[in-house]
Amino acid sequence: MTLMTDCASCEDELASGATFCEVCGRRLAEPPVPEAAPATARKDCARCGAAGSVGDDGYCEECGMMAGRSRDHLEADGGTAGAAVSDRGRRHHRNEDAMWLAVGEDAADVVVCDGVSASFDPDAASDIAVRAAGELLAGARHPDVLPGADGPDETVDREQLERPPGAVGLAGAVAHAITGAAAAVASLAHTGDPRRAAANPACTIVAAAVRGPHVGYGWVGDSRVYWLGPEGPAEQLTEDDSWATHVIALGADPVSAMNDPKAHAITAWLGADAGPVRPRVRSFTATEPGHLLLCSDGLWNYLVDPAEFGDLVRECLTAANSLLGAARAMVAYANAAGGADNITVAVIPVRPAVTEPEPETTDLDTTNA
Amino acid sequence: MSYTAEAFQNEYLALGASEVNAIVTVTSTGGEGGRRTGGATEIIIVDASGSMQAEGRIGAARQAAKTAVECIDDGVHFAIIAGVSTAQQLFPDPGRLAVASPQTRAAASQAIDRLQANGGTAMGAWLLLAAQLFTQRPGDIKHAILLTDGDNGERYGYLDSVLEQIKEQFVCDCRGVGANWKVAELRKIADKMLGTVDIVARPTELTAAFQQMITAAMGKTSADVQLKVWTPVNASIRFVKQVEPQVADLTGKRVEDGPRAGRYPLGSWGQESRDYHICVDVPAGGSGDEMLAARVHLMEGDTEHARALVRAVWTDDTALSTRINRQVAHYTGQAELADVIQAGLAAREAGDDRTATIKFGRAAQLAHASGNSATEELLSKVVEIEDAVTGTVRLRRKVAAEDEMALDTRSTKTVRVGRGQ
Repeated sequence: MTLMTDCASCEDELASGATFCEVCGRRLAEPPVPEAAPATARKDCARCGAAGSVGDDGYCEECGMMAGRSRDHLEADGGTAGAAVSDRGRRHHRNEDAMWLAVGEDAADVVVCDGVSASFDPDAASDIAVRAAGELLAGARHPDVLPGADGPDETVDREQLERPPGAVGLAGAVAHAITGAAAAVASLAHTGDPRRAAANPACTIVAAAVRGPHVGYGWVGDSRVYWLGPEGPAEQLTEDDSWATHVIALGADPVSAMNDPKAHAITAWLGADAGPVRPRVRSFTATEPGHLLLCSDGLWNYLVDPAEFGDLVRECLTAANSLLGAARAMVAYANAAGGADNITVAVIPVRPAVTEPEPETTDLDTTNA
Repeated sequence: MSYTAEAFQNEYLALGASEVNAIVTVTSTGGEGGRRTGGATEIIIVDASGSMQAEGRIGAARQAAKTAVECIDDGVHFAIIAGVSTAQQLFPDPGRLAVASPQTRAAASQAIDRLQANGGTAMGAWLLLAAQLFTQRPGDIKHAILLTDGDNGERYGYLDSVLEQIKEQFVCDCRGVGANWKVAELRKIADKMLGTVDIVARPTELTAAFQQMITAAMGKTSADVQLKVWTPVNASIRFVKQVEPQVADLTGKRVEDGPRAGRYPLGSWGQESRDYHICVDVPAGGSGDEMLAARVHLMEGDTEHARALVRAVWTDDTALSTRINRQVAHYTGQAELADVIQAGLAAREAGDDRTATIKFGRAAQLAHASGNSATEELLSKVVEIEDAVTGTVRLRRKVAAEDEMALDTRSTKTVRVGRGQ
């Protein structure tokens, strides 16, 4: 269950336990689609309309306009186990958010990162961060599975064995993943473009590991995790590392603090200039069914009111017949509201532990609500 | 040879902005341990006009030429031309090229001893003979040194017609000894032949100058490298300039190459790094649009060695669009420095002291601010710099002709900016 598998379609390495390739989104069981067209068949330019004019580097050979980047709109469909959508939004020229979604049976790893625009190559920071964290999360075991019980071909990792059981163990795995992502982002400052050294690539991170009813999550920066129960307002599980949160904690008026130009200034991030990163991690075990929602500020900035947030998510989940559809609808909502920033949303359903029904009490099940 | 090309720019433009600037740095590490894989030909042209008898110039020129010959690598083809009213081949036999070896170098040295100063100055004829000799060696790295001490004596327009005919066929570095030659004349030759121009004020400095030129020429490993620049439809190139190690405008040297692309000759390359400033006007885009304003390829024949992209991204975020790229700002300043020095010299010559003072003042300011201390020092021999920060200068009453010519020839020399945004 925790062995690495390669995606047959795009040959990118896949997180353990995932049934979908994180990169191309294809279900692993499906045979790869044969190359539809040879490389010589070029795309038409959406801007000037010139036929077959988009060159290998993505720019139109006629008008020079960027024909679109692969990261402008990304979707990851984990069926009923989770879905995530990342979108450029309407105002930014590229998508500096990145996401990771790996789902398995009763399990999901999800990471959302938001590049810090003031840094150089923030898109590279978020990209390397989600990959590093996602690959480390792949080692987070199902807390309900006893070590070594998976089968003879399983290699046993000592670190995994020593980890405390249950949701607390998952929180440890998330902390480990975020620390690994921090190191990966910090390493970017001295590679590639020399301007990275002066304004090192940086990003936020929020990550969650779901194993059955157990949830471990952690964050650095202002990307958030929400919990959505069957009803009521969305519950924000994270506390932003931001100026606004800081002053609100000191007693400032929340509305005026959020409207301050400094509101979004983050006080912690991943990057070479971040110093030692201490991710804040938490865990819980679900006792009622609900949805875990991870998002960048491109979404939550338009949903300051938790009640409104809760209603929107439930509305999206009801209207769409899939988790992916719901994630798309939330992205569409943010774009309709202005799309001032990149938008990334991931939705993971979490179910409480099913109590094994005792054979003689089966008839009493209906009364156990 | 392995090359890299890197673009430095602030790609973010304010809405409505249409001018895109980038500095493209081309660096070659030199292939095969920095050795030439092909052939090379060197031709030394020494002015042997009557005026060279003054100040022991001809003796110094002989010595410098001998030193230069000693620096020519074994196997390199070479010839020496004596520049008089016509071009005379001094070594080897007329119409031939020698192959460098201990024997041929010794023979060349003896031939140089026979060099006498008793003729006129006919640069067009000298260059034409050099060009004819070079045609024997297609594909070679071709380099010539032209040494003179006076004005060209050919009929008006002849040198220009020769240059138009032979331009870019070989690289020619020009040196003027003394102070009786015309900077503009040698600059014209150096510009057309992709070489350099400099003053050698005292004959005793000739040997070092020749040695430096030959050593640099022997370090070249590629004969003919070009910058190919593609721009989108409705875009126009405002200029393509070499800005380091010295300013040289390449805009007019463009040769069309395929749709919306043209090539600019860069001459021969060794293990070195040069910077180019590319300025393109493009149709303005909307917020969030990204355009490729120029694709810059480093070409050697049909081989592409390296590529850099010059981009334009329109944004309503003024924090991004108002960022100043250090490279672009620095080299814009260095190009302006060269321009104001030329303007100052021209005004001084025309007797317009007021304009000259303003121009030299600006030059002092630019040279000081950019850390170009070499130019600042040359400038200080022509004007008294009272305050470089504010650009307050006073024209000197007496200026040695050599100092003025040194400022003129070296005004295009630039300094490199430290990397980093």
